[in-house]
Amino acid sequence: MSSKIIGRPMDRVDGKLKVTGKAQYAAEYNPPGMAYAVIVQSTVPRGTVLRMQTSEAERAPGVLAVLTPRNTPKLPGADKFSAVPVLPRLTAMQDSEVLYNGQPIALVVADTFERATYAASRVRTTYVEKAASLKLEAGLERSEPALGNFGMPPPGHTRGDAAAALAAAPVRVEASYRTPTEHHNPMEPHASIAVWDDPEHLTLYDSNQGVFFMRQFLSLLFGLPPDNVRVISRYVGGGFGCKALPWPHQIMSIMAAKVVGRPVKLVLTRQQMFSLVGYRPQTLQKVELGASAQGKLTAIRHTGYSETSELDAFTEPFVNVSNMLYACPNVATSQRVVRLSASTPTFMRAPGEAPGTFAFESAMDELAHALKRDPLELRRLNHADKDPEHGKPWSSKSLLECYRWCAERFGWQRRSLQPRSMRDGDALIGWGMATATFPAFRMQASALARVMADGTAVVQCGAADLGTGAYTVFTQLAAETLGMSPEKVRMEMGDTVLPPGGLAGGSSTTATASPAIRSASNEVRRKLVQLAVADKESPLHGLAEKDIVVEDGRLSSSQDTARGETFAQLLTRQKLTHVEGKGDAAPDPAEQKFSSHAFGSHFVEVRVDEALGTVRVSRIVTAMGAGRILNPKTARSQIQGGVIFGLGMALTEETLRDPRLGRVMTADFAEYHVPVHADVPDIDVHFVEEHDPHVNPLGIKGIGEIGTTGIAAAVANAVFHATGKRVRELPITLDKLL
Amino acid sequence: MDRLRFYLNDRLVEESGLSPTTTVLRYLRDRAHLTGTKEGCAEGDCGACTVAVLEEDGKGAPVLRAINSCLLLLPMVQGKRVYTVEALKEGGRYHLVQEALARELGSQCGYCTPGVTMALLEACHREDFNEPWKLDAQMCGNLCRCTGYRPIRDAAARVAGLRPADRFARALAETKPEPMELAYTAGPQRFFTPATLEALWDVLDAHPEARFVVGGTDLSLEVTKRFAEPPLLVSLEALRVLRTLEPRAGGHRVGATVTLTELEDYSRATCPPLERMARYFGARQIKNRATVGGNLCTASPIGDLAPVLISLGAEAVVLSRAGERRMALEDFFVDYRRTALRRGELLAFVDVPAQPAGARAIAYKVSKRRELDISSVSAGFRVVVDEQGRVREARLAYGGMSARPARASRAEAALVGQPWTEASVEAVLPLLDEDFTPRTDHRGSDWYRAQVAKNLLRGFFLETLSEPAPRLQERHAATVQVR
Ligand SMILES: Cc1cc2nc3c(=O)[nH]c(=O)nc-3n(C[C@H](O)[C@H](O)[C@H](O)COP(=O)(O)OP(=O)(O)OC[C@H]3O[C@@H](n4cnc5c(N)ncnc54)[C@H](O)[C@@H]3O)c2cc1C
Ligand code: FES
Ligand code: FES
Repeated sequence: MSSKIIGRPMDRVDGKLKVTGKAQYAAEYNPPGMAYAVIVQSTVPRGTVLRMQTSEAERAPGVLAVLTPRNTPKLPGADKFSAVPVLPRLTAMQDSEVLYNGQPIALVVADTFERATYAASRVRTTYVEKAASLKLEAGLERSEPALGNFGMPPPGHTRGDAAAALAAAPVRVEASYRTPTEHHNPMEPHASIAVWDDPEHLTLYDSNQGVFFMRQFLSLLFGLPPDNVRVISRYVGGGFGCKALPWPHQIMSIMAAKVVGRPVKLVLTRQQMFSLVGYRPQTLQKVELGASAQGKLTAIRHTGYSETSELDAFTEPFVNVSNMLYACPNVATSQRVVRLSASTPTFMRAPGEAPGTFAFESAMDELAHALKRDPLELRRLNHADKDPEHGKPWSSKSLLECYRWCAERFGWQRRSLQPRSMRDGDALIGWGMATATFPAFRMQASALARVMADGTAVVQCGAADLGTGAYTVFTQLAAETLGMSPEKVRMEMGDTVLPPGGLAGGSSTTATASPAIRSASNEVRRKLVQLAVADKESPLHGLAEKDIVVEDGRLSSSQDTARGETFAQLLTRQKLTHVEGKGDAAPDPAEQKFSSHAFGSHFVEVRVDEALGTVRVSRIVTAMGAGRILNPKTARSQIQGGVIFGLGMALTEETLRDPRLGRVMTADFAEYHVPVHADVPDIDVHFVEEHDPHVNPLGIKGIGEIGTTGIAAAVANAVFHATGKRVRELPITLDKLL
Repeated sequence: MDRLRFYLNDRLVEESGLSPTTTVLRYLRDRAHLTGTKEGCAEGDCGACTVAVLEEDGKGAPVLRAINSCLLLLPMVQGKRVYTVEALKEGGRYHLVQEALARELGSQCGYCTPGVTMALLEACHREDFNEPWKLDAQMCGNLCRCTGYRPIRDAAARVAGLRPADRFARALAETKPEPMELAYTAGPQRFFTPATLEALWDVLDAHPEARFVVGGTDLSLEVTKRFAEPPLLVSLEALRVLRTLEPRAGGHRVGATVTLTELEDYSRATCPPLERMARYFGARQIKNRATVGGNLCTASPIGDLAPVLISLGAEAVVLSRAGERRMALEDFFVDYRRTALRRGELLAFVDVPAQPAGARAIAYKVSKRRELDISSVSAGFRVVVDEQGRVREARLAYGGMSARPARASRAEAALVGQPWTEASVEAVLPLLDEDFTPRTDHRGSDWYRAQVAKNLLRGFFLETLSEPAPRLQERHAATVQVR
C-alpha cells in the first residue's frame, strides 16, 4: 500500500469538536422527562442488611422511587451470567448480603439530581455485621490458585528445573515487591442514561469501551433479544480498562427507568468511582533470579498473590512477563489470589505487565548490581531471540534497536556504576532503565464503508475511541484506501446500530478494526471502478479495471490522468445515492505460528533531595518497536500518556482502605494523586520502524498499554542509583526515602 | 437586588427560585444545557469545570480569571460575566487557544479539554506572562489522565500572554462592572452580599446564625461533598475595604478578602516568604477565588498561610459593630479548626509588621505532589540575628504538626541568645520533639513528620547562612516539592 495519508502525522479529526466542547459524552444526552438516580452505598465491609428506613427519602420532594434489596425487580438473566464470558461479580441489590464497604444497597430516583442526592442521604440502614477480611497479608493462608481471566489460561509457566538451577546458580538474587491498589480515574466519571423506548426495547447511553460487549451482557441479563438493545457510546472520556466490563450502575439505571417509566440518568461521583467500579488489585510478588558469573540467566522463579473480591476470581497476571522477557532455560512462575471484603478488581492499563515489569525489571537491576555489571549490558546479554515460553519465532522484535537508540539519546555511557555517585548541587542524580513489553492481540470486527453521491464517505465500525485517536487513524486508513482526502471521510463509531467492532482492551482496537475497514473500503473502491468502466457515458468507459487510478475522490486513466471523473459525477449520473462495501476481519490461524509482542525501553533520570525525600523525574527517553505506526502524532501521545500513567504508579498513586472498615480513604483527587502538570518531565519518544508481515495484515501491534509497562521499574532503578536505597514497595513516596 | 443576575457568554441571565447554593457548574450543565463545561470531581481538584469570569480585581480593574465552576455558587457571580468554552469560537472562527490545542494534540479523550481551554484563555489574556514557571503554575489545576501533559504545555507556551483582540479583550475594555450587592431568598435558604459594613452589621444583628463566605473554596465543599444546605450565607466579597492590600508602617496590611492570586503578585517584590507559600498554594483556579481570610478562618492545622504569617509576626485585626480587636495571629487559633472570633465578628485584616534589621525568613511546604497538594508539613521561620551573630529573636511556626498552627516555643527559647550556627541549630532540634507530637495519617507518619520538621529547620539555616533575607530562587525545574 503506498502511503500518502497513513503514517502521516495528521491532526485529530475530533480535535476541534473537543476544544469547542461539542463532543457529546454519555451524561450529556437529554431525553424528554429524564429523571436522576443516586446510589446509596453500604457503610460496613461485610454483613447483611437488616432494615432500611426509606420513608423519609420517599417523602422528600421530587422523589419518584426508592429501590432497595426488598423491592428491586429480579433480573431475569442473573443466573445465566456464567454463560457469557463475564464473571458473576455484580451486586445490583438482588439480595441483602453486603460483601464490601461501598456496595450499592439502595437507589433513589428523583426529578432532579439535587433532590435525588438529598433523598439518598436520608436513607437509614441497619446491618447485621459479619467478620470481614481486609488485609492481603492476613489472607495468604487461605489463598487460592489463580484462574485465567475471561477463559485465558491461568498465569504461570514451568520450563526446565528452576529450583535446581537456583540452588546451583553462582549468583542469586531474591526479593519481594509490593504494588498497591490503584484506580484508573479517567477524567470522565462513569455515566449511563437508560431509556425504555417501549417495554421490550432499551436504549442505553453509556460511557464504555465496547458497545457490543455491553449489549451482549445486558440483553442476557434483562432477557431481551440483542436486537432490542441499543448501546451508544460515541465519545468516552477515558477508560484505561475500568469501562470495559459492566458495573452495577448500568444495570441499576436500567432497572430504575423501568420502575419509574421515565429515562433515568445515573452518573457516579468521583468518590463512588473508588468503590462502584473496578481497580488494579494490589500484589505481593517474589522474584528469584539465578545467573552465571558472567550474568547469563540460569533460573527465574516469580510467584505471588493479588487481591480479589468475594464475588470474583479476577487475577492480575503479573508473572507472565517473566516467562518471555529474557532467554532462560529454567523458569517457574505461578500466582494465587486472596479473596477480601472488597469490590471486584478489573483490567487496568497493562494488567499484569505493569506490576509484573515493576517486580521483574527491578530484580534484574538488583542482579546487575550484585554482578557489578551495567544493567543495560545485562539485558542485552539475556536478550530472547525467539519466544522462550512457546519456542516460536517472534513475528518481529526491535528491542535491541530500542536499547541502542535510548542509550545513545540518553547518554547512558556516561553513567557511573556505583550508586550515590552522581550529584548536581544538592540533588542526588540517578539513572535507571527497564524493558517494556506488551502482547499484540486482535479480535473480530466488521465495518461498512459508503461513498455518497455528494462525494463524501461515511465509514462505520462499532468499535470505541477512548481518546486513543481511533477516529483519526481509521479516517486516515479509510481515506487512503478509498482514494479520498480525509476531510471528506466521516468515521462513525461507538453505537450498536453500526457493524460490530471489538472491545477496546488489550491495545487491540486498531489491529482489530483496521483490516475490516480496509476491506470494506477496498470493496467500495472496486465497485466504483467497475461502475465507471461499464458506464457508456463515463470518460473511462471500456478501460481495464487495472488501468484506473483512484485519487482524491476521482477516477482516472493511469495513461492520461486528465481523462476521468469524480465519484460524485459518476454516482449522480448513475442516479445512485451511494455505493457501499462491507468488510469482516478475524485473527488468521497462520498468525499463530509466531509470537507477537511489542517491545521497548525506558531510560529515566531522577533527582532526589535527600533531606526531604522528594523525588523528581527530570528526563525520560523511551523507544518502542510496536509494528506499523499509522499516525506518529497520535501514537506519540499514546506513549507519552502511557508513560505518565506509569509515572503515577511509580511515585504517587495508591488507594488506601481503612484497616477496620474497608472504606477507601483516598477516594478523591485530593488524596489519590494522579500526576499533575508540573510532575511531567521531558519525554522523548521514538518509534523504531518495524515491518511485521506476520502479526496481522496491516502489521499493527497496538500502543495503548506498552508505555505503562517498565516505567515504574525504571524509576525505582534510577532512585536506587541515586540513593543506594532499593524501594520495593510502590509508590516511591517521600517517607520511604528518608 | 433580590434576583440572581449575571451575564452568561455575554447574554444577560436573571433567575429567581433557584437554591443559592446551586453551583455554576450544575446550572450550566443541567439548566443552561451548556455541557461543554465538564464535571470531573465537583470539589475543585481537577479543573474540568473551569470557566472564565470577568470581574474586578482588588483595585477595581476588570480581569479575566479562570475559576472552577463546581465551587462557585450562583450568587458569587452576581453582576459578573461568565464565559464557557462555547463562547470561544466567534463567527465560525476558532479561537487561537482552540487552534493551538488541536494542533498540538492537547486533547485525547477530550474530557479535560474544555477546562484546559478555559485555563489557557486566562493565560492568553494575562499581562504578566514573563517567566516559564508561570506556565506550570497556570496549568497545574487541570488534571489530564490521557496526554501526559506535554502537548498541553506546548499549546500553552504558544498562546500565553498573546492577548488577542477577541471578544474577551473587547469585554475587558468595554464593560462596566455591575454591583454584586444581593439579598436573595429561595425557599428556606438566603444569601446576602452587603455592599457596606453598616448593611453587614444589620444583617448580622437580624440573623445571628449567618455564616460568612468569600471565595467558597472551602465552604462550597460542604455543599457539594457533604450536601449541607446552609440556611443563610453572607458574602463579604462586595466590601471593598476588606480587599485592602498595601504597605503600612514598613510592613503590609492584607485585607481578609484578598485572593491568593493577588497576594502572590503583591508579595513577589515585597515579601518573599509570603510569595513562596502563595505560589505553591492550590492551583491557579483555586487561588483566583481563595482568600487570605478564608484560609485563616478555617483554622485548619494544614492551612498554608498561618505558619508563614505567624513567623513574620502578623496580627489579626478583627472587626464588629462594636469596633476593632487585635491579637497576635498565633492567638487567633484556639483549637482544632477553632478561631478566637466571637459572634458578630469577622476577620478584617492581617497586619504584617516591618521586619527588623537582621531578620531572615523563609517558608516551606512539603507535599507528596509538586503542585495542587495539601501539605504534609509546612513551616514559616524567622530569626533575627544581631550584629554579633547571635539570635535575638526566633519564630518557628509549623503546620501539620499539631491540632492548630503553632510555634515551637521550646526550640525558640533555646535558640535565643545562641550564635546562629549549625551547632546551635542541631542542638535545638531535639526540642522539636517536645514541642510537637505529630499524628500519623496517609500524608505522612508521625515519625516522618517529626523528621521533616527537623530537616526543614536545618535547610532554613543553610539557605539563610549568607544573606539576611534571601530572594526566592527560581528552582522550578529542580528537585523538590518544597521551597
Ligand atoms: C482544590 C483545593 C486546593 C486547595 N489547596 C490549598 C492549599 O494548597 N493550601 C491551603 O492552605 N488551602 C488550600 N485549600 C483550602 C482553601 O482553598 C483555602 O483555605 C482558602 O483560602 C479558603 O478561602 P475562601 O475565601 O475560599 O474561603 P470560604 O470557603 O469562603 O470560607 C472558609 C471559611 O472561613 C470563613 N470566613 C471566610 N472569610 C472570613 C472572614 N473574613 N471572617 C470570618 N470568617 C471568614 C467562612 O465562614 C468559612 O467558614 C484548597 C482548597 C481546594 C478546594
Ligand atoms: S469538577 Fe473538578 S474542579 Fe470542578
Ligand atoms: S484528554 Fe483525556 S483527560 Fe485529558
